[in-house]
Amino acid sequence: MEVRRDKRPATGNEIKFSLPGHIKHSLKNGAEIYLVKKTDLPIARINFIINSGSKFDPKSKYGLSNLTAMCIDEGAGELDALQLSDEFDYLGAHFSVHSDSDITILSLQTLSENFNTALNLLSSVILSPHFKENDFLREKRKVQTRIEQLKDEPDYIANSAFEFFLFGKQNPYAFPVIGINDALNGIEISDVKEFYKSFFNPQNTSIVAVGNFEDEKLISRIESTFQDWIKGNNFSMEFPTGRKKDPKICVIHKQDAVQTEIRIGHLSEIRNDKDYFQKQLLNLILGGQFSSRLNLNLREKHGYTYGISSRFNYLKNDAYFSVSTSVNTENTLGATDEILNELTKVREGITEEELAFAKSSISRRFPLNFETYSQTASNFSSKIIHNLADDYFETFLSKILNVEIEDVNTVAAKSIVPDSALIVLCGDEKKILEQINSLSFSEVAVVNYDQIYSG
Amino acid sequence: MLLLDIKCEKYSLPNGLEVILHKNNSFPLVAVNLWYKVGSAQEEKGKTGLAHLFEHMMFQGSEHVPKEMHFKLIQEAGGTLNGSTSFDRTNYFEKLPSNELELALWLESDRMGFLLNSLDQDKLDNQKNVVYNERLERYDNQPYGLAWEILISNLYPEGHPYSWSTIGYLNDIKNYNLEDVKNFFRKYYSPNNASLVVAGDFDLNTAKNLIAKYFESIQSNSKVKHISTAEGKLKSSKKITHHDNVQLERLYLAWHTVRAFQEDDSSLDILSDILAGSKNSRLYKKLVFELEIAQDIYAMQFSGRYAGHFMIVATAKPGKSLEQINNAIEAEIESIINNGITKRELQKSKNGIKSSFIYSLQNLDTLADHLNLYNFYFGKPNSFMFDLERYNSINENDVEHAAAKYLKANCVELSIVPKGKNGS
Repeated sequence: MEVRRDKRPATGNEIKFSLPGHIKHSLKNGAEIYLVKKTDLPIARINFIINSGSKFDPKSKYGLSNLTAMCIDEGAGELDALQLSDEFDYLGAHFSVHSDSDITILSLQTLSENFNTALNLLSSVILSPHFKENDFLREKRKVQTRIEQLKDEPDYIANSAFEFFLFGKQNPYAFPVIGINDALNGIEISDVKEFYKSFFNPQNTSIVAVGNFEDEKLISRIESTFQDWIKGNNFSMEFPTGRKKDPKICVIHKQDAVQTEIRIGHLSEIRNDKDYFQKQLLNLILGGQFSSRLNLNLREKHGYTYGISSRFNYLKNDAYFSVSTSVNTENTLGATDEILNELTKVREGITEEELAFAKSSISRRFPLNFETYSQTASNFSSKIIHNLADDYFETFLSKILNVEIEDVNTVAAKSIVPDSALIVLCGDEKKILEQINSLSFSEVAVVNYDQIYSG
Repeated sequence: MLLLDIKCEKYSLPNGLEVILHKNNSFPLVAVNLWYKVGSAQEEKGKTGLAHLFEHMMFQGSEHVPKEMHFKLIQEAGGTLNGSTSFDRTNYFEKLPSNELELALWLESDRMGFLLNSLDQDKLDNQKNVVYNERLERYDNQPYGLAWEILISNLYPEGHPYSWSTIGYLNDIKNYNLEDVKNFFRKYYSPNNASLVVAGDFDLNTAKNLIAKYFESIQSNSKVKHISTAEGKLKSSKKITHHDNVQLERLYLAWHTVRAFQEDDSSLDILSDILAGSKNSRLYKKLVFELEIAQDIYAMQFSGRYAGHFMIVATAKPGKSLEQINNAIEAEIESIINNGITKRELQKSKNGIKSSFIYSLQNLDTLADHLNLYNFYFGKPNSFMFDLERYNSINENDVEHAAAKYLKANCVELSIVPKGKNGS
């Protein structure tokens, strides 16, 4: 058989992909639900999305929303903490509660045959958690120990310090979801109960269910299970955006570190339809995948790192652009310089070839976002979290494909601002300072991580 | 269970390459998954890390594919890709829209048949730096990051294929030259030492023709000789203390057990789940929940082609000693040996395992990799039901027996303690 190896083989016939069928429905108690049809396996998945992240933590009580999420499944309904977890496990169900800066998600994955039983357990967690004093104290001690443990992890230190200095302490996003120990000391069980009472209500909740459901049946099941759920408020928050900051380098010492964790970035525009797709394409080219400019330069050309990436981070009420990597200490300056060079260069524009690559990659990858039950659920969940248009998925491909190179270049020049970048370097302080003295930056601050949140 | 009857067609090309096809047209994706039967176990002393470094070189382009294009072409087509190296094997995999099957086969065949001429010193030097940084990032600069390496080098005797870690030692990585890399390719990267899985949405005849087109003309080397299983039990228990930049002390316990899929392997998996797999498991409940002497705890049966071991790892709460933790673990193991486990505990583990088998079918990459795994061990890719039955057939006695047989023998006890503190 004749083999032409010198040429990429041609693409076959266009694939047939259709979005999973879905309906959106408002329950009588006020909660919104998405029902998404997926039938390839006997699996069901449901996410309860509570609009209650750490940005709602009262000042002086940083860590409250996370601690509430940790306590909520420590006993509920008729079952104590161990019995409850044992029942989920006996069903072979995966149940988890996860809190971030914007939301708390309770998610459940089960075999279809166990879905109803597992959903009953989940509803008792949401409707009748025990919040017993001894469980609360144990979970609180666990969090406080975890906070100490996290100080061992250089990537965590770099990330949390970067967010702190980026947002500034007037902004709730400056503080870690897990909280800070000074504040946790003062949190009592009454705070947790109060937080739960305010935020866990149907007006503040959305639901995404993925599986082979009979829609009517599932809706009426959820209606009846949650009919006595006490109504409350939908919470929202706004902060001023578009703040300009002076460029700054923060160096954080990590004893005996052999690498420097590098974070470089700045605040950015909140997620919006005007430039979202342009930024996705831009970032794919700059640092969003293996053959990005940043990775080809820092990894494949210089060998400074195992990997580097950039992204626009969209929080609900704010956003930032950041580049993350870790490099062997000796190359801290070289890597920082190269990152700044790439940021400066991309402002001058991208090529038609790069844009064609990025469009192809994002659009052709689209079906893969709906392969698993959890991916499908998380895509619909992000639609809720970011309040995206009803036809967001239906119009996604045309919006990506219609972006013009001029649009991307305009966005690049406006949204990538190395001149006002915050640089966080976490590693061996002495060896880092020896190198960066030659960088011309207005301010180099040496920071003690243990003290950044105090004062 | 019908769902787990993953129908496959398996055959070999004249050059020895095994081919496994599993068709499932429910989603327009196709997965290509290629196993080379070589891992770090085949390395020699002073030459550790070569299998993994070599995996990196496979992404540096081949005779008809320029450097960087391998990743770029797959990503441009909307696909995902990667590779990984373990003790026993190296795998390469991509998942693509189903109309790009040929692209993946072209790329995989080019680096299987036409890699050597495109390798050069610059590429090697570059990837040595990348791997050096990978090691720093994932091991040397991580809290407790060296524990695995210290543990296995003490548990397995010197020269045993599992006594060094897959990433390799820094000095070995630095010393590799182009000839080492080329020889490794010549020795192990041959069609008769590999198996190719194609799973997902494709037409059987088309796939067979394409596989023949791209792979048939690649020559095989002489048959690869596999190492004989190295035995090596601990003559006595060992206690090791290592100082690290950590806040909390951590205890690692390891015992020799059995190889993958050998008798007792599945009992030991269930034992690990009953000991520490859930909040209401024996060790978690006692040490983390009730006594609060540990911050976290986990247990696992690690098993490969040449050996296996059982591990328990626990992090001490501030102010609590590893001795206390060790005693509490020992007491729970004793209790299982003396008083047994309950029907419910066993059933809970089995239910969890059955569910995870079904959950694992969601992802085509995972499915394809499993077909290769079963083929590697049994020569039968469709062994999901057989594998599940290994767990379903276990009774309470089997689990108690496994605890008594393996966890009372000699063990390695590794304590990681904060720098400046004495080991307990």
